[in-house]
Amino acid sequence: MHIDNQQDTLPLVPEGIAAEAGETGPVLTGGHCPHCRRDFFPRPRHCPQCLQPPEERQLSGDGVIYSYTVVRTRAPFGLPQPYAVGFIDLSQSGLRIFGLLNQSDIGRLAIGKAVCLKLEPLGLDGKGGPCRRPYFSLAEREGDDA
Amino acid sequence: MPKPVVAGVGMIPFAKYPQRSLVDLGAEAAFLALKDAGVAPGRVEAGFFANAVGSRLFGDSTIGQNVLWEVGINRIPVINVENACTSGSTAFYLACNAVAAGQAEMALVVGAEKMCVPEFGLINSGESEWDTQLGLVAPASFALRAQRHMLEFGTTVEQMAQVAVKNRAHAAGNPVAMFRDLITVEDVLAAPMIVDPLTRFQCCPIADGAAALVVCSEAVARGLGRAAVRVKAVVLGTGGYESPQDLAHWETDYRVCAQAYEKAGLGPEDLDLVECHDAFTISEILHYEALGLCPPGEGGRFVAQGHASLGGRVPVNPSGGLLSRGHPVGATGVAQVIEIVEQLRGQAGPRQIAGAKVGLAHCMGGDKAGDTKSCTAAILSI
Ligand SMILES: [Zn+2]
Repeated sequence: MHIDNQQDTLPLVPEGIAAEAGETGPVLTGGHCPHCRRDFFPRPRHCPQCLQPPEERQLSGDGVIYSYTVVRTRAPFGLPQPYAVGFIDLSQSGLRIFGLLNQSDIGRLAIGKAVCLKLEPLGLDGKGGPCRRPYFSLAEREGDDA
Repeated sequence: MPKPVVAGVGMIPFAKYPQRSLVDLGAEAAFLALKDAGVAPGRVEAGFFANAVGSRLFGDSTIGQNVLWEVGINRIPVINVENACTSGSTAFYLACNAVAAGQAEMALVVGAEKMCVPEFGLINSGESEWDTQLGLVAPASFALRAQRHMLEFGTTVEQMAQVAVKNRAHAAGNPVAMFRDLITVEDVLAAPMIVDPLTRFQCCPIADGAAALVVCSEAVARGLGRAAVRVKAVVLGTGGYESPQDLAHWETDYRVCAQAYEKAGLGPEDLDLVECHDAFTISEILHYEALGLCPPGEGGRFVAQGHASLGGRVPVNPSGGLLSRGHPVGATGVAQVIEIVEQLRGQAGPRQIAGAKVGLAHCMGGDKAGDTKSCTAAILSI
């Protein structure tokens, strides 16, 4: 997907939880404890098991929907109304994480469907300006049991 | 070790009080509890004041000292408690522990909240949290649990609606409840959708309100010459937060309920009633299961078959619960204990459960990593 330079420089909200990773597309910025061999998202200050500082680890945003819902109240942070959120089971790390879902997938969302990560202009930042947010979008490909 | 008992209760109807201050609401409840116990302010040796959103909405702090001095209580230790929706039940936990430890022979618990103000929005886990910035609001957390419960156990929207219908029917007999007009399953399902599949009638309403308890040792209560309600167990737990969390089988909820039963030496079969944290209809269904009132996954059928209704196997939320009594956050955990006390004393009027001897008050608060931040359970008996 082509993302122009202007969009690329928009601030990321929330800070530090996702990044563009070139060819592979966006990734989640998590943590990994080499001692305990555990992945975390987001990256914690300390590994909760051994208290060593976890390394930064890029986590694949590919996964499947564990649960989802559509929020129809007044949307916060300039998010579209309605907007969808869910918990995603990340295929590679096995983590189950909360995230925004693609608003244009509303009506086609289902538990078990495959998703991938996007990092694109969505909603407003703390100062009311445009920003990018990570969100999950239905993966239109084999394995999608739609 | 001194055994804690509840010797006095007081609360004001949960409603909107645009003309009254938070301190004013709290002071009235405190006054009523002291009157009910028949004690002078000088007898109180520790104060615990619960409030969740006052500092955010009004910039106030150390509100408890202001409230307690309005009823003549000064000089003693006063502790202000904030623990989200469990602020009130956490204050009760602390008071019981202070009495059990011999630190205070008598403690006053006050929970108060004023939140029906234009500045108040949807409850979330804190503006600076990453998931809040990704649109997580409290009803969404529970809608996500509902979706899983429906998929895994076949729970239906009608069954969830029946929680709201039941609690409204219970509230009809409770003069301090905010909403007392009967509703039907059709009304619940036809109400505006908030977060799929939860409609407005399935989300608890915000309210202003205050509730208070006098907690003292059994020995002190005997001297007061009043029927005291014993605290058999009071436990407080925090979330596990590890990933992955099972949204349809709430580990923290099961763990805290099990601890309460173990401490009390009682089980779900001993309960005559439960007050639980029905912030949303699905919450109550999840709590039936964690409390062991029914097998895991059976919560929807449990309510649909009438087992949680007054006259049923174990009436749940005979007060009307958060859904119909209203949810002034800091006062809720205290009001739940008051409902148990009134039922065990036989003073619950038209909603009285005949011969009730044992009741459990359960509360939950906050949201972190697909888990709750705080969960409390207290078992009381007469
Ligand atoms: Zn480690």
